[in-house]
Amino acid sequence: MIQDIAPYIALIGIRKAYRIGGEMMPIFSGLDLTIPRGDFVAVMGPSGSGKSTLLNMLAGIDRPDAGTLSIGTSRLDQMGEAARSAWRAHNMGIVFQFYNLLPMLNAAENVELPLLLKPLSRKERRLRVERVLDLVGLSGWEKQYPAMMSGGQQQRIGIARAIVSDPGLLLCDEPTGDLDRKSADEVLDMLRFLNRELEKTIVMVTHDPQAALYARRTLHLDKGDFVEEKRAA
Amino acid sequence: MPIFASTHRRQALVMIRTNLSSLPRRFAISASMALSVALVVCVLAGFLSMAKGFERALNGAGSHSIAVVLGGGTNQETGSDIPASVIRTLDAMTGDMGVVRDAGGKLVSSREIVVPVDVRQRTLALRGMDAIGPSIRDGITLSAGRVFAPGAREIVVGDRLAGEFGLGMGDTVRLGAVDWTVAGHFSARGSAFESELWADLDAVRAAFDRQGQVQSLKLRLTDPASLNRLQEFLSTITETPLVAVSEADLYAAQSGRTGSLIRLFGWPIALLMAVGATAGALNTMMSSVADRTVEIATVRALGFSRLSAFLGTWIEAVVLASAGVVLGLFASWLAFNGWQASTIGANNTRMAFQLAVTRDILLTTGLLGLAIGILGGALPALAATRLPLTTALRARG
Ligand SMILES: Nc1ncnc2c1ncn2[C@@H]1O[C@H](COP(=O)(O)OP(=O)(O)OP(=O)(O)O)[C@@H](O)[C@H]1O
Ligand SMILES: [Mg+2]
Repeated sequence: MIQDIAPYIALIGIRKAYRIGGEMMPIFSGLDLTIPRGDFVAVMGPSGSGKSTLLNMLAGIDRPDAGTLSIGTSRLDQMGEAARSAWRAHNMGIVFQFYNLLPMLNAAENVELPLLLKPLSRKERRLRVERVLDLVGLSGWEKQYPAMMSGGQQQRIGIARAIVSDPGLLLCDEPTGDLDRKSADEVLDMLRFLNRELEKTIVMVTHDPQAALYARRTLHLDKGDFVEEKRAA
Repeated sequence: MPIFASTHRRQALVMIRTNLSSLPRRFAISASMALSVALVVCVLAGFLSMAKGFERALNGAGSHSIAVVLGGGTNQETGSDIPASVIRTLDAMTGDMGVVRDAGGKLVSSREIVVPVDVRQRTLALRGMDAIGPSIRDGITLSAGRVFAPGAREIVVGDRLAGEFGLGMGDTVRLGAVDWTVAGHFSARGSAFESELWADLDAVRAAFDRQGQVQSLKLRLTDPASLNRLQEFLSTITETPLVAVSEADLYAAQSGRTGSLIRLFGWPIALLMAVGATAGALNTMMSSVADRTVEIATVRALGFSRLSAFLGTWIEAVVLASAGVVLGLFASWLAFNGWQASTIGANNTRMAFQLAVTRDILLTTGLLGLAIGILGGALPALAATRLPLTTALRARG
């Protein structure tokens, strides 16, 4: 399968620093990265190397201090808060390490959340929710609440929620960090399926070398820069 | 209205729903917020309905178009005395005195005396008046029977007293040394008049040995402003000092400034409590935001707007305050409305009044309660919009 040549995600000269105890701690000082459409990138690196910061910037949750950050035709670094919110709603799905399901909503309602941001009828929303729950192998679990589900099931709900509005990009911050091996493999299989069959571009932060094997390539982040790149066989 | 376009509304609705359904997690503090609002509402409603009831009784009794002439240098009925010669002089006066005359040019006036009488161990005011007396009063309607017949030992009884003392139509009641028959009931829209018994002047004088006595003279003014003109005419009579006061002022003076005094106490107390309750609401809602940090940040990360985060928290505060308001209003209505209170009026007789929880009072206190939620919730709601979203990815949900 041939990937687009033009980069889908492009980071050029990204700078980011956090103020920690009065001092500015640089995380990135001129980070460059391009990711083509349809890629599945695993980002690894020691704790504190800036993996989550990178992912948050891609998600538009955090902003670079300087540099250009474009995804598709959008310049995230130039957008305001409200614009980035709206952009997130239409262009990406996020999978969280701790699933971040709302405990007072059942599985179907949790999955439905991103659809509420779109001009869809109730019926359309229900159909879409059914379709993705089927995709993650949890049809029949609509009425269950997160507290009644295993970690693996909750994360599959999390993935269903991330893809329900059919975004082109999936961002996952340690999606298997809280799962046992078997559940982790199920989740990773699913991500690979989404990448291979549904052509989602995926950026996944992980500590787990096994997880990284599911990706098309692995980037190693250290001291604010990529030190190594490994392509899957 | 782009702000409430359907997706915004849906976002807000979900936020509100998740907030409200997570309320049980914060039950104690949320309930205490609602209760503190309810308490403020109750206290204010109590004070206001007391003031209202009192004013209703007294203001209803007094009209600005009725003048009461008092003699002997007093400005209240007790101790007032108008000699018969003065009344003759007044009747003989011609010219525009600012008061209503009948077709024959005679003054329309009612001579009156008030006698304290004991009914069932309680002191009531028995008012003797000329036959025209009831008509020189505003807002009086006969609710049953007829007025007393001239010279007869008949009384008409205010509705309030009739109910309280069981003075039914045709009943006889012993006042002083003789029996009186209840000829009618009158309503004065709950005013202080209803705390009186009315009878024929001569019958009262005869029964209580007050021959020839007149305490006050009621006249109908052609215009509320013509009280001064009447006073000018009265000043020409030198036999005894005479004053003309409007009936409204007479009753208002009798009550002192009780109504406003009650309010003067009530409002600051209620407002102070409201400030406390607002601080409590602020605290409650801050804890609600803290409790939902991850949830708020998560949906915001999914693309939910700041507005929805704001509304979710704010409306939770308003809903809690509303619950308090409803509880408080219901409680005050149950507790206060129609609650009989009484105070000592003129001649040491009882003046009954009813606490009145009016629509205005419900509205005022309800708005104060809501304001507690609106103000107390605004800052935490703002805080909810300012949560750093990065926490959503970091924290354990
Ligand atoms: N909001 C923030 N305020 C201050 N410092 C921050 C903030 N977010 C991240 N940092 C700091 O930036 C650095 C990079 O953090 P980041 O979370 O990106 O690391 P990470 O690679 O994801 O680590 P981990 O593997 O532990 O998740 C860390 O030193 C962290 O303390
Ligand atoms: Mg991290």
